[in-house]
Amino acid sequence: MRPFNHINAASIAEAGEALKKGGAVAVAGGGDLLGALKDNIFPEYPRTVVNLKSIPGLNYIKFEDGALKLGALTTLADIARSPIVGEHAPALAAAAKSASSPALRETTTIGGNLCQLPRCWYFRKLNNRFDCARKGGERCFALTGDNRYHSVFGGAGFEAPGGQRACVAVNQGELAPVLIAMAARLKTTTREIEAFNFFDVGVLSSTVLEAGELLTEIEIPPLGFAETCRYRRFAFRKSIDFPIINLSIARGGENPNSPGKPRWHICIGGVAPTPHIAKAAEELLNVNAPSAADLTPELAQAAGVAATEGARAFESNAYKLQLIKTLIKRELLAMSAPPAD
Amino acid sequence: METTRAGASLKSAGEQAAAALAAMPRRPEVIRCPICKRQCLSFEELSEHYAAEHPDSVAPTAVTLNVNGLNCSLIIEPHLTLKQVLQLHLGLTGAKEMCDRGACGSCTVIMDGNPALSCNILASECEGRSIETIEMVAVMPKWRPLIDEYCKWDAMQCGYCTPGYLMAAKALLDRNPSPTEYEIREALSGNICICGTQPRHSQAILEAVSRMAKGETINA
Repeated sequence: MRPFNHINAASIAEAGEALKKGGAVAVAGGGDLLGALKDNIFPEYPRTVVNLKSIPGLNYIKFEDGALKLGALTTLADIARSPIVGEHAPALAAAAKSASSPALRETTTIGGNLCQLPRCWYFRKLNNRFDCARKGGERCFALTGDNRYHSVFGGAGFEAPGGQRACVAVNQGELAPVLIAMAARLKTTTREIEAFNFFDVGVLSSTVLEAGELLTEIEIPPLGFAETCRYRRFAFRKSIDFPIINLSIARGGENPNSPGKPRWHICIGGVAPTPHIAKAAEELLNVNAPSAADLTPELAQAAGVAATEGARAFESNAYKLQLIKTLIKRELLAMSAPPAD
Repeated sequence: METTRAGASLKSAGEQAAAALAAMPRRPEVIRCPICKRQCLSFEELSEHYAAEHPDSVAPTAVTLNVNGLNCSLIIEPHLTLKQVLQLHLGLTGAKEMCDRGACGSCTVIMDGNPALSCNILASECEGRSIETIEMVAVMPKWRPLIDEYCKWDAMQCGYCTPGYLMAAKALLDRNPSPTEYEIREALSGNICICGTQPRHSQAILEAVSRMAKGETINA
């Protein structure tokens, strides 16, 4: 790494002020940022690194008024072994436990997992070799290059200096699909956002957070999604690997098609620039499967096909479409089966 | 201490580690400006010197690390990782750097009782944290069975990844003195051995666990 100034922020206000100045980046667990600095991928090397871990009171797991609340600095290992999370949101614990490796989970945080930058190899290429769209450059190299791990739901358009750009790198965060399926709400220093509105694509950004705005709390409301939520990931290795695809299915809230029954939430990560909500599959299940016992193999298959609606594979990532279909079918069938005990 | 046929002394790993721990500097002997080499009497003087003479450069910071039970006051550049500080400032070369991206586990140390990847932690963020390194494991009689079993079961070939594996194993055994094989494999799942010795590790640790349970601490 090249030299930078380092601030151990003592409060959220201090961190926010430091980050509003140009050339500053925030670091929590360091799992994402330190690798990026070592690879020197940023067009401008940051002058200041602001440490958020020194801010007291952002590392907690508590269950209040029926809602599960997690501080943004809670480490993934703490979430994975917390009895509170294990009881009220087992899928979140499972997702946290499948992220990276045991030692890395001890330092990396839930906030960092949500805010991490994409793993696209053009974006991450050593010494900023590819001036890609996501860095404010003119084009996305994955469109014509090697896109085997890239989006199957098209690129995300965003405003960059000089015009409109698109990026087809995926959001490969481990926890994002689970939190979206559980209808989590994310609190920042200035507002409260639904989890599915939190993710956005911009120049060197994966979230809607503005300069100086910090994620402070993740709240999972008592709508029933957390209890029924399930998590499944597909990756080449069990450990030290990002998911190729991860998905989460949950039931809760109010079903618009059959009153009194819970509705379905399906969120897929690793297939689109932001976590992808499979609306067509949710709709199909809301209409045809008000309760989990209504799930038939045919319906599970149809839901998998519906989840790929609107998908368009590039040259080398068509396998992801089959993965979506298969994993959704498997997960739904596992939900319909009576619990083995 | 053994000697080679040529007469050179051959220190065991434990002796080397003890020597490294004894030589660990507790505070900088001479405080010098890294840019102009001017000698300063204190960290405050160095900071003032930086503000006056090198206002565009990144000033070093003072940090006190608790390494292997000893408090070490250091003056370091803020961009150094814990791995680099252990090696360059404290002379502890046990934690190894392989991928330098948090993906291989060779640099594992134990921070506040948890395994941690020292290549992925900034040393300037470790003020007051307690850090244990492989040198501590090498000199403690309690952990002799673990090292012996690693040798006996050949759970290493080139040995570069071994310190990281041993620290991950120690962190597991500190928390859970009688792990199952599955728990061992899970705890070691963040370490990579390119030589391909993975199946031996759980065997070696299981054997070490049974020897340690009998209270055996000295190499038989």
